[in-house]
Order: sequence, then structure tokens, then C-alpha cells
Amino acid sequence: MFSTIGRLALSFIHYLGELALLFAETVKAMFVAPIRWRLLLRQVVEIGFRSQLVVAVTGGFTGAVMAAQTYFQFHRLGMDSAVGAVVSVSMFRELGPVLTGLMVSGRVGAAIAAEIGTMKVTEQIDALRALGVYPIDYLVVPRVLALMISMPLLVGESVALALLASHFVGTNMPGVSAAYYQHQTVLYTDSSDIIMALTKGFFFAVLIGFIACHQGLNTKNGAVGVGRAPTEAVVISSLAILISNFFLSFALNMIFPGGV
Amino acid sequence: MIEVRDLHKTLGTEQVLRGVDLRIATGETCVIMGRSGCGKSVLLKHLIGLMQPTRGEVLVEGENIAGLPERKLGEVRKKIGMLFQSGALFDSMNVEENIGFPLKEAGVRDKKEIADRVAEALEMVDLAGEQEKMPENLSGGMRKRVGLARTIVGRPACILYDEPTTGLDPIASDSINHLIRRLQKRLRVTSVVVTHDMKTAYHTADRIAYLHEGRIYFHGLPQEMHESPDPVVRDFIEGRSGDSD
Repeated sequence: MFSTIGRLALSFIHYLGELALLFAETVKAMFVAPIRWRLLLRQVVEIGFRSQLVVAVTGGFTGAVMAAQTYFQFHRLGMDSAVGAVVSVSMFRELGPVLTGLMVSGRVGAAIAAEIGTMKVTEQIDALRALGVYPIDYLVVPRVLALMISMPLLVGESVALALLASHFVGTNMPGVSAAYYQHQTVLYTDSSDIIMALTKGFFFAVLIGFIACHQGLNTKNGAVGVGRAPTEAVVISSLAILISNFFLSFALNMIFPGGV
Repeated sequence: MIEVRDLHKTLGTEQVLRGVDLRIATGETCVIMGRSGCGKSVLLKHLIGLMQPTRGEVLVEGENIAGLPERKLGEVRKKIGMLFQSGALFDSMNVEENIGFPLKEAGVRDKKEIADRVAEALEMVDLAGEQEKMPENLSGGMRKRVGLARTIVGRPACILYDEPTTGLDPIASDSINHLIRRLQKRLRVTSVVVTHDMKTAYHTADRIAYLHEGRIYFHGLPQEMHESPDPVVRDFIEGRSGDSD
């Protein structure tokens, strides 16, 4: 049993080491190699523009259901007016970035791992190298940069739709006035909440990008490996988002304390 | 042009190469032969730095490329082209984009120049006019030809061929063999061909190196190999496994 735990711990450290090396290589590539703007733009369209629907639907319906549920609970305590503030702060600080991260990891992380994995097992990555093109410059940098650009925007879009939906649901409940709802929402939401949402979005983009690219670049065993890479990319990046969010929340709360 | 000295490679627990010494002169066509899994492709990948040796040296025009970081290998790789076993075409690009890719990477921006050089490369591999096709619509033989066109478009000084006829029917194989020979005459490049196909070897080789148990067991002219009395070489040439029914 101890040997199994030891083996698992070693393989986890090995995995973290590989991720750290990929991170270092990619950061270096961003400064020493020219940015491929056309590839970057294509990835922004693929990753950012095409993820909008899923992110918007997730944000909108989460905001709506949260407003309804908060109202049902708070109404019994006579705190109807706090619904907007609770939804707003929750969406900015936690649910917006986390749900957007999970949706993007499912949609984009899987696609990145599958695409790079297929290139790996069909020798296309070796072909790139043989043609004098460094795969990190060509494959990893545009994807990671596109995620870094797109994710904060997607988080913003998701939260905005959540607030709109929650406003619609909240102000249509008996006993809640629209003016008071808006006033309370604005009163309890400040720039630190927005900064926290965008910071988390950026951090999750880095996690998704490196985990997915790493899974793709390390794909082995032909079709079986290509099938496994996206699944593992989604599972690992989703877990990484959920776990890191806990620590990130504490750290960011120290820097950007909430409340009035 | 290329020299390999005391090359060792261990993959996992298996020692694939156990001290390979080989010298390939400029303009020569060297065919590396051996049984499946003996390490031919591993040896070939060391010549372009796609694999790093466990021990030993790989000299390209006198420069040892073993242990060079990936970015520095880019310059060496511009001198050497490689045809992969599967062709390794970029499946998101059509034939023209695949062949034009090395030119764009080398900084050629003139669209007409790229189109002309792609057309010229396609003409050399007998695929003129196929620019618009996607890789998924090409046969195995055509993929290898397009892969070869992509390799020669950058005008390398040396071309490495990894199993150029594997998986092709005899007529397509013969056609590829003639193509390799024709390109050697036309482009005057150094060539290294990895194969276990005797016909390809006799058709294309100036010299043949036979890889056996991780070392170069025989290195000589095709005629010398053909007449070799050595039982290991004879078993390979005549396809004798030693098994009985």
C-alpha cells in the first residue's frame, strides 16, 4: 500500500515537473520567438468567439436560478432586497469564473488535447520539428495566449448575462422593487469583485491551456491515446480549477476584500 | 556530410542502438537495412535530431548535433529534409499549403514565388495540378509523394527517407523507387533511405548499411551485399527466418 502511495506521489511530482517545464518553455517562447498573429487570431475565434453560446447560456441560467433560489430562502427572513447583491457578489467572485472555466475546459481543453494528440501520433509534430519549426512556438503559444485573452472576456460575458437574468427573475418576484434591487446590487458590488472575476478567469485560462497542451503533446498509443487525451485534459483541468479556486479565493480575498 | 560515432540509444529498458558507427559522404545514397524493429528509424531520427542519443555523436557537416537544444537544431534541420513513413502531411492544410509551409516558415512572402515553387515540386513528384486536394483525399502513394514534395521544396542538401515504400503496392513502390533515383540525379542531394525492401535498396543505393543487434553489421556496395557469404546477411537477403512448419 505504501509503495502504491509512493508511486502515485512520484508520478504526481513528475507530472507537475513536466507542466512546469512546458510553462517555462512557453513563457520563453513568448519572448524569444515571433508571435504568430494569424494563428493567434484563429485561436481567439475558435476558443473565445465560438465559446460564447455555451458560456452565455451557463451564466444566464445560473444567474436566473440563483436569483430564484436566493429569493425563496431570503423571502422567509424578509430579506428580499438582498437577492441582487448576493447573486452579483457570488457570480463575480465564485460562480462566474468557475463555471466559465469548467465549460471552457470541456469545450476548448478537450479540442486542444485531441488536435495536438492527433498531430503527435500521426508524426505531424515530428514533421514540424523536421521542418525547423518549434512545436511550442507553433502549437502551444497561440493557444495559451488565445485562452489568456478570451477567458477574462468570457467570464465578463457570463457574469453580465447572469446579472441580467437574475435581475429579470428577481424583480418579477412579489415584494421586490426593481429600483431597490438595482441599488442593493450596485451598493454591494465594487471594482474588487470585477478584478477578482477577471483574475480568476486569467488564471484558469493558464491552467486549461497548459494542461490541455501537455496532454496533447504527451499522447501515445495511437487511436486509444487520442481518445484518452481529451478526457484526461478535461478531468485534470476541471479538478485543477475547482481545487485552485479554493486557494485563489482566500488569496484574492486578502488582496481584494469584499463588502461595503 | 553525416557521420555517426559510437551511437547508443536506450528506449525504456531496451538497448536499441549499441554503438553504431556510420559515415555518409556528400552526394551519396546510403540505404540502411535491417529487420523490423532493429532500430533503423531510430537511427534515422538521430540524424536530424528528432531523437537524442543516450551516448555518442552525430556529426552533420562536422557539427555535433547530439545534445543541441531544440531551437539550435532548427538551423541544422534546414539543411536536411525528411520524408516520414506516413507522409505526415498537416491534415488541416491542402496540398499546396502543405508544400508551401516550409517556404513560408523560411520567410518567403511572395505568393507567386510560393505558388511557382510548389508547382515545380509537385511536377518533380509527378503530381502536377493536385494543389487543391486535402490529405484525406489522397492515396498512400500520393501522400508520400506530397510529403516528398514538401521535403524537397526547401532545397535541402540531404534527404532522409523513412520506409518510403512500406504499405504501397509493388507498382507504387517501383514508382517511388524511380522517383528517389530521379531526384538524386536532378537535385544531387545526399540521401539516406531506411527500408527493409531489397528492391528499393538495390535500386537506389550507392552503399548499403545493414543494422543488426544495434550495430552496423555490414557496410558496402549493393553488389558486395548481394554476393556476401555471411549467413546473417544471406538470411536477410533470402528472407529465411529459420522457422520450420
